[in-house]
Amino acid sequence: MEQKKERTSLVILFLTSIIFSNIGIFGIENVALMPNYFIALITAFTLNKSSFLNIYILVIIGLIVDIFVGELLGQYGLIFICIYLVHFIIQKMLVIKTTLQLFSLGFFLILCSFLVLWATSLSHGLFISFNLLFIQSIFTFITYLIFNIFIKKFTKN
Amino acid sequence: MATKLSRGHLKLFNRDSFPLVSFVILFILCLVMMGVDYRQQILKKIKSKFSIVTSPITYLINLPADIFINSKDNFISKTLLKEKIEALEQANHILTIAVQENKLLKSENKLLRNTLKIKKDFNLVGKVAEIILPNVKNGHSIITINKGSKNNIKIGSAVINNAGLVGQIINTSKKYSEVLPITSEDYAVPAIMDNNKENVILYGNGNGGLEIPLFPVSSSILVNDNFVTSGAGGLYPKGINIGRVVEIKPTTSPKFNSIMITPVSQPTTFTQITVINIKE
Repeated sequence: MEQKKERTSLVILFLTSIIFSNIGIFGIENVALMPNYFIALITAFTLNKSSFLNIYILVIIGLIVDIFVGELLGQYGLIFICIYLVHFIIQKMLVIKTTLQLFSLGFFLILCSFLVLWATSLSHGLFISFNLLFIQSIFTFITYLIFNIFIKKFTKN
Repeated sequence: MATKLSRGHLKLFNRDSFPLVSFVILFILCLVMMGVDYRQQILKKIKSKFSIVTSPITYLINLPADIFINSKDNFISKTLLKEKIEALEQANHILTIAVQENKLLKSENKLLRNTLKIKKDFNLVGKVAEIILPNVKNGHSIITINKGSKNNIKIGSAVINNAGLVGQIINTSKKYSEVLPITSEDYAVPAIMDNNKENVILYGNGNGGLEIPLFPVSSSILVNDNFVTSGAGGLYPKGINIGRVVEIKPTTSPKFNSIMITPVSQPTTFTQITVINIKE
């Protein structure tokens, strides 16, 4: 039952992300203020330890994201499995007990994924300003917090 | 008695096993896909094929604006319409005179070209389209227009408006197309100063402007000098306005300056543009 709710919330948030990634945050069309909704979404679901999310599903989601808003086929798949890997390694080494620790881990995962995004973009001739990505990662973290609240509320009821 | 576990069997807080083989395979697969896409531009082809899935999103985003514009048109008063028609008639009258003048100039130009044996043709043939939403996509600035492959819009075509060069078509679906703005970091255009002095390549700086990163100090260039397309490469017709020099900055090398250019065209949403046909 909980898995079904998680899946539904993923679909809802995924569709919302597609719409918002085309219109900007609350209609503000400034590139610097635009969070990466998909990184926020996958970070939120990975940290919530969604049982249905495995490495294959993450790659498939990544490919769908690439088709809708991506610029390079396979880029988001790579980012998402990197989030999965970093989260797994950290879980092996650290015990995440408090909410603050969880949010810090969320921010760390977002920074890691932006680093992968930046590196893969540059290595394939797509220019992305590093400073811009840092600002975007802060907005992505805020989006992650909002998504996190939604997932908690949705799966609880 | 406690037994010491070997390093290989040591498990700390997470007792799940990591799907290492799957991870490595998928990691390599993603890298291969990125490499192949970079060389073959597969994603653009997939996006064109999947436009039946992505087009409803563009339609949905533009729906509120469309409803607003349509409802505004329905409630427009008779007096306002009369005023608009009068203004348009006046504009039409001025344009008709300008067209007559242009016809004369064109015939004179043709005569001179025949005398000087210059064969280049300046005819700009294109399709008029409107800029719609979205103008940002996942952290990137783009221009979306309401004409697509159905209207014979082709990838690579130059896009202009009444002020000058706007960009280049990079993606087409059945009903919509995406334009890379001239100010984008990935953009470059061969240009010439309007006094035919300097041939250069202008690059978008991603910050609302264009630049020439290294321009020889010995070359004469001043603030307010104008750049137009040079026609080199055959993609853009010669003579389309690009922008004017706003700043000349020294670089670390004493032999070169960096030139900052502001584009003359400032395309905004719901304005008209023209997509120039590619000559086959």
